[in-house]
Amino acid sequence: MELKELIISLCSMLSVSGYEYRSFERLRSLVGDSFDEIEQDGVGNILLIRRCEKQSPAKVLIDTHFDEIGMIVTGISEGGFVSVAPIGGIDSAILPSSDVTIYGKRDIRGVLSSVPPHLRRDSDSKKLSEISELFIDTGYPKEELLELISIGTPVGFAPVYTELLNRSICGKSFDNKACTAAAIFALSDIPKSELAADVYLLLSAHEESVRTGGVAPAAFGIDPDYAMVIDVNLAAVPDVPKSETVEYGKGISISVSAITDRRLTKMTEELCRDNEIGFYRVAAPSSTGTNAAALCLVGRGVPTVDVGLPLKSMHTYNETISLDDAEALSALVRHFVCSEKIKEAFVV
Amino acid sequence: MIKYNGAELLERLCLLFGPSGCEDNVRDFIAEQICDVCDKLYTDRAGNLIAVMESGAGEKERLMISAHTDEVGFMVNEITDDGYLKFDTLGGIDPRVLCGKKVTLGDECKKISGVISSKAIHHKKKEERLNITPVESMYIDIGAKGRDEVLKYLDIGSYGTFDSEFVRFGKDGKKLKCKALDDRLGCALMIEVMRDIYPEKDRLPIDLYFCFTVREELGISGAQVAAQTIAPDYSIVLETTAVADVAGVRESERVATQGEGGVISLIDRSTIYDRAFVDFALQTAEKNGIKTQIKKYLSGANDASHIHKSGKGVRTLALSAPTRYLHSAACVADIDDYSSMLSHILAMLRCWDDKTLTRR
Repeated sequence: MELKELIISLCSMLSVSGYEYRSFERLRSLVGDSFDEIEQDGVGNILLIRRCEKQSPAKVLIDTHFDEIGMIVTGISEGGFVSVAPIGGIDSAILPSSDVTIYGKRDIRGVLSSVPPHLRRDSDSKKLSEISELFIDTGYPKEELLELISIGTPVGFAPVYTELLNRSICGKSFDNKACTAAAIFALSDIPKSELAADVYLLLSAHEESVRTGGVAPAAFGIDPDYAMVIDVNLAAVPDVPKSETVEYGKGISISVSAITDRRLTKMTEELCRDNEIGFYRVAAPSSTGTNAAALCLVGRGVPTVDVGLPLKSMHTYNETISLDDAEALSALVRHFVCSEKIKEAFVV
Repeated sequence: MIKYNGAELLERLCLLFGPSGCEDNVRDFIAEQICDVCDKLYTDRAGNLIAVMESGAGEKERLMISAHTDEVGFMVNEITDDGYLKFDTLGGIDPRVLCGKKVTLGDECKKISGVISSKAIHHKKKEERLNITPVESMYIDIGAKGRDEVLKYLDIGSYGTFDSEFVRFGKDGKKLKCKALDDRLGCALMIEVMRDIYPEKDRLPIDLYFCFTVREELGISGAQVAAQTIAPDYSIVLETTAVADVAGVRESERVATQGEGGVISLIDRSTIYDRAFVDFALQTAEKNGIKTQIKKYLSGANDASHIHKSGKGVRTLALSAPTRYLHSAACVADIDDYSSMLSHILAMLRCWDDKTLTRR
């Protein structure tokens, strides 16, 4: 499977925070064979493990959160109109007239409401409607709908993917499953003999709704020697200062931060240089805004490097990434888990 | 050329690129669909596609049936150095339905995909999070690396439309969701009416002019030119009308109800419709057991505005599909209303009665 197809397959799976487990079986049948073990823990984390051939192997953790922003059903009214609450940081600005799927007993397509200009009044407020003022139009009578969904049923944006110029693609949930896909793509066909350590690919849960929710308990169980956290990063767009974004289409970003391991960060940069992988630094002094913050403090502490995939239109259903960047990320993961030099530096 | 009908015809029509002033793709498709069910087919100087169906010999009164081919859209008005496109809307689009949507940019020949974007929520200040993002603060991303690359595909003045899947959803797939249902639904109805009525056209007491009009969404209506040149005695405008038969809206503001048939307007923001024609339409529906309903809210305007005042004046009727969320990427209509409207139009043509119609 090509990286692009893998990204689209993963992103099309339901994984709204708290409901990641619903895609476990699909994930297992899609990529399970490429790993030695695949398991799920009590929090909802999914762990994909590749064993190396070494005696008393070191343990490297690659973390990519697997959950996505979405909604849950909060009410079902006459005429089949469904009210919802957000899970994760959804911008209300993108909601009106968007396509959604309600993941009930079967998938139900619907449309988030909007008010047409014909029926607006000049006196209408310029305030955005809160998500609680909108509803999903399902086209079902209430009674039938009640047999298919209930309060708490998860809702996601409809998965539709489109190619833009220069190998860019847009669609839902690239945050963060494009990163998950890049990691799976990298790990699935590395010969056992080349792995420097046992590789634990953590598809962590709950990142979007309870920040850094799932990573700590998973890492506690693994007790890794060193780790890489991969998450998407806000790419440069108009009207936003350059200092708050990363370059797009030129590779991956590597955070320089007080919370990540300075030595591991430098060695990762070196790995990029040696293998001609495009990268550039971003300064994230006190927070990377990713799972790294929680991971670095787990157990006896985990030396962590924080890596980013540039992404535009974050937290919309048309998040945009460059396949060039995703391939760069995949290449870095491959070299990272095979690096004897890094392993030796972090296994005492 | 495959001849489509029903929901499939609607799907084909809705997915065509046809913002106001750039309706060529829609016109070409329709011309192929109807070329063998009319006596004369031509495009007038305004761009309207007109199909004539002449009844038997002798001078007859003329009925003009129309639907507009254009849809709301966008136009590129600036290309930034770093390869993003600024744009303006074409027709009435609420900025609330723009952020995050996919669009198609280009013209009748060449098209390219893009995404309407603005700052991510992470970069928005509190004030920006609470208020509508104005169109001036949005841009379209096509993935270009800079202005020069954009210019290979687009230019100032390039057109755009929403890029939206056609989806059948709800119970028995009766709800239809897409962009441009306004007014490709009217176009689809005309195509199906033409196919149905053509074999019996010699028995009709009236000549029929089917007009697929341009530029309705801008109010600079191509229908005006069509009406002036055809000089019809009667006109039926087939449209969609914005309804709010949804959660949280008071009964008095719902306009009409989906599933209850085509909506007959008595009055809207630019036309007072011919009462005798309205009565004829209501009686025909009742006699034939066809669902129809009266529009219960004063809102909107359509091609009737120009048609009914053209020449010496034209007795005009508007029959519209009750449609939710108009002028967005996700308009929703009901296939049952489409079927009711088709039956209703055919019934009116088959029992055309100029005595009822000219009563005062």
